Amino acid sequence: MKSSENREFARQARREGVMGPVLQILHIWQRRAPLLTAGALLSLLAVLIGLVLMREAGMRVAAMTMGMIVVTTGALRIFGSARVILRYTERLVTHDAMFRALADVRVWFFRNLARGAAAGLGFRRAGDLLSRLVSDVETLDGLYLRIIIPLLGACLVLPFLFIAINMVNTVLAVVVAGLFACSAFGLPLVAAMLGRREGGLVNHASAQLRIGVLDMVGGLREIATFGAEGRMLAHVRDRDDALYRAQMKQARMLAMSGAASYLCGQAAVLVVLAAALGIGLPHIAPLPAAAVLFLTVAAFESVGGLTRAGALAGSITQAAARVVAVSDMPEHAPPEGTEPAPAGTDICFDHVSFRWDANRAPVLDDLSLSIPAGQRIAVLGPSGAGKSTLAALLLKAVAPQGGCITLGGRDIATIRDEDLRRRIAWLSQATHLFADTIRANLLLGRPDATEADLWTALEQARVADVVRELPEGLDSWLGEGGASLSGGQGRRLALARVLLSRAPILILDEPATGLDARTEQEFLQTLNDVTQGRTVILIAHRLTGIEKLDMVWRISGGKMVSAR
Amino acid sequence: MNDDKTVMKAWTKAQSRLGRRQAMPVVLLGLATAATAVGQVWCVANVLAYVLVGGGQSAVTWPLAGLVVLALIRAVLQMGSDMLAARAGMKARARLRGGVLDAILRGGPGLLRRHHTGELAALAVDRIEALDGFFARWLPASVLWVAAPLVIGVLAALVQPGSALIMAICGIAVPFGQALFGIGAAVASRNQFLAMTRLQARFLDRVRGIATIVLSGRTDDETRRLAAAAEELRLRTMKVLRVAFLSSASIDCAMVVALVLVALRNGAQLMALHDQGVPATLMAAHVARGLFVVLLVPEFFAPFRSLALAYQDRAHASGAAAAMRILPDAATVRTAGQTVCETGQGVSVAFEHVGFTWDPARGATLDDVTFTVPAGQTLVLCGPSGSGKSTVIEMLLGFIQPEIGRITFNGVDMATILPEALVAMTSWIGQKPVLFAGTLRENILFARPDATDAQLQAAIRAAAADTFIATLPHGLDTLIGEGGFGLSGGQAQRVAIARAFLKDAPLLLLDEPTSHLDPQTEADVFDSLRALAAHRTVILASHSAAVDGFGGQRVDLDHGRIVTSGENAS
Repeated sequence: MKSSENREFARQARREGVMGPVLQILHIWQRRAPLLTAGALLSLLAVLIGLVLMREAGMRVAAMTMGMIVVTTGALRIFGSARVILRYTERLVTHDAMFRALADVRVWFFRNLARGAAAGLGFRRAGDLLSRLVSDVETLDGLYLRIIIPLLGACLVLPFLFIAINMVNTVLAVVVAGLFACSAFGLPLVAAMLGRREGGLVNHASAQLRIGVLDMVGGLREIATFGAEGRMLAHVRDRDDALYRAQMKQARMLAMSGAASYLCGQAAVLVVLAAALGIGLPHIAPLPAAAVLFLTVAAFESVGGLTRAGALAGSITQAAARVVAVSDMPEHAPPEGTEPAPAGTDICFDHVSFRWDANRAPVLDDLSLSIPAGQRIAVLGPSGAGKSTLAALLLKAVAPQGGCITLGGRDIATIRDEDLRRRIAWLSQATHLFADTIRANLLLGRPDATEADLWTALEQARVADVVRELPEGLDSWLGEGGASLSGGQGRRLALARVLLSRAPILILDEPATGLDARTEQEFLQTLNDVTQGRTVILIAHRLTGIEKLDMVWRISGGKMVSAR
Repeated sequence: MNDDKTVMKAWTKAQSRLGRRQAMPVVLLGLATAATAVGQVWCVANVLAYVLVGGGQSAVTWPLAGLVVLALIRAVLQMGSDMLAARAGMKARARLRGGVLDAILRGGPGLLRRHHTGELAALAVDRIEALDGFFARWLPASVLWVAAPLVIGVLAALVQPGSALIMAICGIAVPFGQALFGIGAAVASRNQFLAMTRLQARFLDRVRGIATIVLSGRTDDETRRLAAAAEELRLRTMKVLRVAFLSSASIDCAMVVALVLVALRNGAQLMALHDQGVPATLMAAHVARGLFVVLLVPEFFAPFRSLALAYQDRAHASGAAAAMRILPDAATVRTAGQTVCETGQGVSVAFEHVGFTWDPARGATLDDVTFTVPAGQTLVLCGPSGSGKSTVIEMLLGFIQPEIGRITFNGVDMATILPEALVAMTSWIGQKPVLFAGTLRENILFARPDATDAQLQAAIRAAAADTFIATLPHGLDTLIGEGGFGLSGGQAQRVAIARAFLKDAPLLLLDEPTSHLDPQTEADVFDSLRALAAHRTVILASHSAAVDGFGGQRVDLDHGRIVTSGENAS
């Protein structure tokens, strides 16, 4: 008893493992339920009309050949054109509903990514994992168009088929309906089960290829200087071949399931013909025989794609699982606050402890630090000492395991994330320049900035000359990652964005990286002037001596030590 | 823009020619499938005719048996054609991907100056994967939609020329009608497709920069903007799909018309025969023929549908063609030198009045640069960023060539030296070494795959990498790079130094090797670099104060010109 209960539980868990993410996707689509349902209904109607049309056509052709009626095509023509129009509208409506639902998934995905995982992203997660997630969202269209709609159709066709044939002969109805169920439900299920493994292999192989290619592209310099072109190419080719092998296996499986599904339909046709001839099955009259034959052909045609879709169901559910996983909170994520940010901007770290991983040493260990409003401090320390972790904690990207952080006397855990972040402007190594105009990139810092504000910020960041030289000035488009600017220029543009913001607290994480000594000195001089009255937290591994600072701290052993 | 279009057309044409050869077996199997379908229809028509109007019992056993056999044959043909199509797609992708990878390697590090790593990787992986449908589905369908109906039409004409003519006219009406309404052109519209790609790229870009958005407190604004962009994507996609569906609908229409006309024609004939009262066997033959042509109509139009379904695949090809244009042409292979440079006594390097310009609008990057580094000596290049230090190093690595003047190694013009010999004589360490996905051992052996274990250990000790390797979970076999253990900046640089020790080349180029390190680590790394520099010719570009301890000659660059040169404090 106990063991059967366990087995049942395990089975349920397994089912949830597959169906859970899909159900959650359906939940996101709830807002589009009317449209999605309308699309499904139209589709069902089209299938039904198709069946009726074919049954009618069979009957008429038969009657005509037997000389029983003078053929009138009026009804056929009406049904025929109704079917064409219905097919067209049905496809329009279902696809439109699908794209609306996908747009919802995109927005949902983005919002959740922003809320939960975003924090970790800026500090840890790689961009290429994300690109895969983007294509996963697109894969989800198959769920509605290729699985749900045809399955609903099959659920409607099965009883229709059975009832229509049952009026002629019960044995025949049972046999044909059985074959139909096999083709519409059995084979797709088998294909889905087999396809999960094949799909997994293909996904793995394509991820390996992607890593190989990224290594090759990123390491072009290393490859050229070590003369390793041939070796690297062979390495990537191996992975490419592995992908093709996995895909070929999948193609073979798809082809076989397609053939099996086709043979099911042909078997049904044969059974109907056998019944019409009275071989092995009770004989049926010629006229209904023709009608049943045409109906059977149409019914099997309507579910022809399901086996193939079943084989791809694995990759769809896996995509759904990855998309849905975005809403899982990362382990260090702080809870969303509800209070508005207070007016004061005194910052206080009170006995804060933090470690990224339970197996590693704590990065911050019982650290206390107070930064009164308007104070300018520097935090020094070797890389990996926890300087950036300090910024992550203050921005509520991660939550401390011990102690608390207050802003204006209020625990930041209770402050609304967006409010908190609007009070802090952050420049990091990972600051992203968007594939957009320079203006749009700057306005991210302060949406209501005037043209003059923009130029002032650019001047302060020592990048105004570069922008002025561009043919379209502020409206020049930046390529992916700001590719049309050099690394140093991109950094300065990101800096201009931060300077533009009116946030009373600035966190500058190595702002002078990529600047040469002279520009760095000029820049720090400007920084002294333009950040007057604001709290500045400068994170650096060394100081040049030009910075005007109230305090200099060094992180050592997870604690703050005054360096002055 | 017009130029773009011709380039893209030429590319699509060339690819079609190459792909068609591979698609031939698929086309042949498709034709065989069409012929089998005709056979099946013939069998069904005969059995049905017997059921409806009677005739000899013997008349049905053969068609019935034939039906079983033909169904099996068709299933096998279909399977074969599916698999051959998949294979054709794979072969084409392997060929194209090989070409893209070659072009990336040929373009070398210069490509990274203009393009993001992710962009190039997406081109080599995703763009090519998206082309599968073009070769596996579109190309066979683009031949079959003419050939298969032709086969079916000819076979139908043998039985009933009149009905075959009706089918042919309705069939021809499809492309004519589509051309008239501009359906084909609209579906394949490149503009529409490119706009879609841009919107998808925008989503990807926003997702990549999500941390910046969130930490700027702009999540709500961006979410709203994203929703608007997603809405636009939907509208554009629907615009394309609407015409695609219209095109399918026009095929359905043509089929219904053909079906009704053929049925009417046969109905009238049979009615006349009934009135004449012909015997049952003769009647059965007539009925069988009539049913045959009626049932053949859907088979006749099936290839048209496949073509309509493959429209999207074609659009992918023009998108890919546009993306491919960032790669260098195969034609731009530069002429390689042939001379072998003797390096037994070390390498002396000389720049003779070298000039180079990246962008004419911003002036010369290097202007009349002249210096000499004797074998075994060190040269430190100083100057602000953008002064031309990196350009000097890139030239020495052979990634770019001087536009004016020349560079000599041991008095031999660099341009005439065999590329393999150049690679063999230089080691390079940059700001951040790239660590490949794999073990630490593989990463160091990358410099010289045939090195013995003793040589490997010696290089690791010389680079002072042994201390940190001992602390790693699996020592030298620890997985690093993508998805592996993350090394710190200093540790990664030690891997690079170990690589350079292992390679043991006489010329060492150092491009800001410590700019990402904190002062303590920087000092440690410089100690190891000094050990590496012994008995080698070294050119070091840096703006760090720590280079003062490096000794040797010093050259200060500003705006591509040498401003001062002299001895470096040591």
